[in-house]
Amino acid sequence: MRPALALALALALGVPAQAAAPEDLTAALRQARTLAARGEAEVRVYFPPRAVPTRTAARLPAVPFRPALLARNFTVTRRDDAPPVAGREVIRYDLTPKAGEAAHWTLWIDRAWNVPLAYEERFPNGALARRAALTQVQPQPLRVQAGVPPIPAGLRGAVLAALPGLRFPPGFVPVALQARAGGGVTVSLSDGVNVLALVIAPRNVRPALGVASRRVGGRFVWLVGNLPGEALRAALSGLRAADEAPLGTFLPAPDSKR
Amino acid sequence: MTDDDLDFLFAQARVQTPADAGAAERFLARHRATLAPPPRRAPLWPPLLAAAAAVLAGVLVWRPAAPALPASAAYDVYQGTLGEGW
Repeated sequence: MRPALALALALALGVPAQAAAPEDLTAALRQARTLAARGEAEVRVYFPPRAVPTRTAARLPAVPFRPALLARNFTVTRRDDAPPVAGREVIRYDLTPKAGEAAHWTLWIDRAWNVPLAYEERFPNGALARRAALTQVQPQPLRVQAGVPPIPAGLRGAVLAALPGLRFPPGFVPVALQARAGGGVTVSLSDGVNVLALVIAPRNVRPALGVASRRVGGRFVWLVGNLPGEALRAALSGLRAADEAPLGTFLPAPDSKR
Repeated sequence: MTDDDLDFLFAQARVQTPADAGAAERFLARHRATLAPPPRRAPLWPPLLAAAAAVLAGVLVWRPAAPALPASAAYDVYQGTLGEGW
């Protein structure tokens, strides 16, 4: 009788809650495009490395969340028993990549406002990469205009035409493109929450934590981000050519005054 | 001088000795030296030009790559993709 009751309880409470977790998180991330909590935030960044990792800010730094990609690439676990953040009741969401070695994330979402009050990114080994958390919150959230631009149609094909043999790390897709001042281009890759910078450049860059590069023909291709070194190098290992020409149509005209 | 002496001398003159060969060689060498035009020094510039061209071509093809940028250049690019405020 008792196991049956436990199962019934799990079905009634746990399973539906878990099944709905990605949808709940998606709703919160969509809400965050128009509404944001303000106050005082503590921001800690250990990757990319910097001289002073901790600072304070009046708001949470932006994370280019892409809810559709996120739901596809991450297992979302909801925790309703999380301790409050800045004195406010929160729901905690843990994001674990379904494949590959992408960074793990935890988000704390305000129960009443349904917007983030804190989030953190952890290396696959569990060490903290980035964390931002409001320590004080103003009584009312603010109307904002946030969000990310849509992914240009055909970008993936153009990137693969520019870099034949490139293997996107599991879950990552190209989402944006930018010309570089010194020549070359930067392609942003996203898995919904993590980002990688893929660069075609006339010069090489020294290898370091989260930085891999390869010479292809007369160009250098860099891949930068929070992935283990082998995963970054594996993405570049099959490259056969590097030519920015197929990406030209995705770049803004040089004389545009945007 | 008897006939026998003369016969001996003639017989000796008919037989070629190493001394004769050496004398002939010395004469011919002198003769050829006077006949042949004075030796011209091989010009130096074609090999020098070829070497310079090879070096130039090598430099152009294997253009010494600019030194690799420090890792901070890569982190700056990554920072630009992270989103505002980090």
